[in-house]
Amino acid sequence: MLNFFKKLDELLRGHRTSPDALLQGEIKLSLRAFVPMAVLLGATYGFFMGWYSIISRETPEYWQLLASIVKMPALFILTLIVTFPSLYVFNALVGCRLDFRGTLRLLVGAIVVNLAVAASLGPILAFFTVSTKSYAFMIVLNVLLLAIGGIVGLGFLLQTLRRLAMLGYHLARPVDSTDDQVTEKSINSNSDETGDHGQLPGPLDAALQDESSESYGKANSIFRVWVIIYSLVGVQMGWLLRPFIGDPDFEFQWFREREGNFFLGILGSLKELFQVGS
Amino acid sequence: MTALFVKADDFLRGRAPFDPTTAGRTHDLFLLVVVFGPVYGAIMGSYAVDSADRLLQVVFAASKVPLLLFTTSVICLPGFFVLNTVLGLRDDFSTTIRAIVAGQAALSIVLASLAPFTRFFYYSSNSYQNAILFNAFMFAIATAAGHMVMLRYYRILIRRNTKHRIGLYLWLGLYAFVGMQMGWTLRPFIGSPGSPIRFFRDEPFTNAYVVIFRLFAG
Repeated sequence: MLNFFKKLDELLRGHRTSPDALLQGEIKLSLRAFVPMAVLLGATYGFFMGWYSIISRETPEYWQLLASIVKMPALFILTLIVTFPSLYVFNALVGCRLDFRGTLRLLVGAIVVNLAVAASLGPILAFFTVSTKSYAFMIVLNVLLLAIGGIVGLGFLLQTLRRLAMLGYHLARPVDSTDDQVTEKSINSNSDETGDHGQLPGPLDAALQDESSESYGKANSIFRVWVIIYSLVGVQMGWLLRPFIGDPDFEFQWFREREGNFFLGILGSLKELFQVGS
Repeated sequence: MTALFVKADDFLRGRAPFDPTTAGRTHDLFLLVVVFGPVYGAIMGSYAVDSADRLLQVVFAASKVPLLLFTTSVICLPGFFVLNTVLGLRDDFSTTIRAIVAGQAALSIVLASLAPFTRFFYYSSNSYQNAILFNAFMFAIATAAGHMVMLRYYRILIRRNTKHRIGLYLWLGLYAFVGMQMGWTLRPFIGSPGSPIRFFRDEPFTNAYVVIFRLFAG
């Protein structure tokens, strides 16, 4: 258990994706440890999310709590399964130096960061659940909290991709002694600059100052395409897996009838919350 | 007792052991919140005390000021901790906590110093609505003062690493968002005349934001 938190902590602090660690050739995220971690963190958030079905109903609906616990990690993992082949192919096409396993590790890492932030906001969600009747408010709050996690997860992904691209750029240049020194220097001097006290750069820091537009451009385009593919599939996956929170006016059900899409749904919740036109 | 006032005085002036530029302990700051917060709370809850059995309202209100500050912090802390970690600010986290508690200690001391105004206002006005507004005004003043003291500590952190500015905004955002609802949930603070003595209102908990949206949307 302690080991579990230690690994998570190293990831969140950015030790596992620091330029020095990446320079050793592969991302040090063993899937055997980090996939269960993603599941556990997702389940933690789902647990807080599922409280609403216990508190808002006259007879608590424990099935909904269980459904929320299962569905949160499922949403992220299933989306990854659906999108991974295309993400990998695109990444290979653009010529990032991540291999198959490396790509998977990086994406799982980003999911873990995303879910860790979301799970840490769980107590806020729980507090509002206890004191809120409005189903619409709970939906909007959940979207907000998950968005915070999502933004951090994306920041992690982008910066790690850029670091990898930069290192690839350095490694690809012909190796002579002066060049090696430049590489070493740019990495070392950078950790002095960003962490003023000799701290390692965090996972979201732009770790390398020496911007090479070519390799940055590559990282950026991979990132953009990944985000578009993953979020479109993810959003619709989330829509298919509904209900996550469970409308107290309806009986519990594992899945809803297929109808509409995410964007129409969230618009409806906002309208209801602001009571526009009623 | 005198020692406590000396402590509060040292703290307000930013002298050792509360000097922001040097390392210091946080638990003295907790003590200041626990001692001075209830002073204002008790006065605030004394609005409708006309018989001995209503004194319980005073006790409730006294306990609610530190409760409001601490429970809000505890709820926000896990998220704030993780966000600080991913920003790469983890090594400064104990100093960050000190800055936060220092802000709350300053808020409590300033509130306590404003308590006589509140009692004086209660004597000179008879309207419960005005009492609520006056208390909100006092809290606003104390919050501003607390923020100033928190900045004293935060400024040093920001000088060390500019990303602490993001951390500060995150904390303020989380704290304000949760604190508002916590304040709403912990009502009554003042205790309207004639209503029964309760720690929480009899009605089920409601959401402050939903209430406000409804007010504006009609």
